[in-house]
Amino acid sequence: MLGIFFVIGAAAFGGLGATVRLIQRELVEKRGWLKSADIGEAMAYTKVLPGSTGVQIVTFLGWRLLRWPGALAATAAYLFPSLAMMTAAAAGFAALPDTAWTRGAVDGVLVAVIGLLAMAIWRLARSEAGTPLLTAVLVAATVAGFFVNAAFVVVAAGSLGLALRFFRLRERHG
Amino acid sequence: MVELALRFLIVGALAFGGGGAALPLVERLTVEETGWLTHDQFAVGVGLSYATPGPILVLAAFVGHYVGGLAGAALASLAVFAVPVALAGLAAQLLERFRNIPWLADFARFAAAAAIGLLGVTLVSFVRPVLALEPLLLLGAAVVAFADARGVSPVLLIVAAAAIGAGAAVVSAEGFLSR
Repeated sequence: MLGIFFVIGAAAFGGLGATVRLIQRELVEKRGWLKSADIGEAMAYTKVLPGSTGVQIVTFLGWRLLRWPGALAATAAYLFPSLAMMTAAAAGFAALPDTAWTRGAVDGVLVAVIGLLAMAIWRLARSEAGTPLLTAVLVAATVAGFFVNAAFVVVAAGSLGLALRFFRLRERHG
Repeated sequence: MVELALRFLIVGALAFGGGGAALPLVERLTVEETGWLTHDQFAVGVGLSYATPGPILVLAAFVGHYVGGLAGAALASLAVFAVPVALAGLAAQLLERFRNIPWLADFARFAAAAAIGLLGVTLVSFVRPVLALEPLLLLGAAVVAFADARGVSPVLLIVAAAAIGAGAAVVSAEGFLSR
C-alpha cells in the first residue's frame, strides 16, 4: 500500500484532480481495494474541512484501508515525493549565485506565477463562490485583506456563515 | 523553530478553500510578519509548488528550509498537514457524526469564499513589483494565464518563463528588473 501512495504522490501533478484520477485508476480499477463510492465519500466529507483536499482524501481512504496506521502511512507516502522535491528545490534555490541570469530567471518565474495564480483564483471563484452572497463575501474579503490580517478575515467570514444559519433557524422556529 | 511550527499549524487549521486558498495566510504569517522570506522568494516558492506534484502547501517545506534547513523543512511540513490530516482521519472514523454537522459546512463555505478573495491580495503583492518596473511584463502573465486555461502544463510554463527571464537578463547584460 505504501508503494502505491508513493507513486500516486509522485505523479499527482495538478493537485486534487490528478490525485483522484490516479486513485481511481490504481486503487479502484486495477486493484479493487476500494470502490468509487469510497472516493466520492472521501471527497464529500473532506471538502468542508480546512486543508488540502487531495491530502485529506488520501488520509480518509488510507483509514478505510488500514485504520489509523493506514491513514498516516498513506499520507506520509503520498507527501514524501513532493516534500523531497520542494526541499531539494529550496536548497538549490538558496545556493544559486546572484548573477544576472538567475535574477532574470526568478523574475520570469514571478511573471508566470502571476498568470497561474490569476487563473487559479478564477477557477476557485467559479466553483466555490457560486452565489451572489458568496461572491460579495469574496470581494469584501479582498478589500479587507489589504487592511486586516488574513486569518481574521477567514474566521470572520466563517462566523458570518454561522450567524446567518443561526438567524435562519430562528426565523423558521419563530 | 517553535514559531515556525506554530505558524504553519495555524495555516493548516485555517486552510478553508484548500491549500491554494491559504497562500495569502502563508504570505502574511511567513513573509510579512516575520521577514523570513522576501516577496520574490515567496513567489518562487509558490511557483515551485505549482510545478511539483501534490498539494500546494508543500510550500511549507520551502519556507521551513529557509528558517532551519532540512529540520525546518520537515517541521514546517509536519505542522501544516497535522490538523488537516487529523481531521480527515477523524472524519473517516466518525463518519456518521460528521454527516450531520451543517454548521461546519456553513462556516467552511463562507470561509472558503473569503479565502479566495484574499488570494487577490496575494496576487497584488506579486503584481506590484512587476508593475513598478515594467508593466508590459503583465502581458506575459496574461499569456501564461491563457495557456494555463488551455491546458498547458504549469511545469512547462514555469520552466519556460524562467528560461526566458534568464535569457532576457543575459541579453541586457544585467537583471532587467534590477533591484
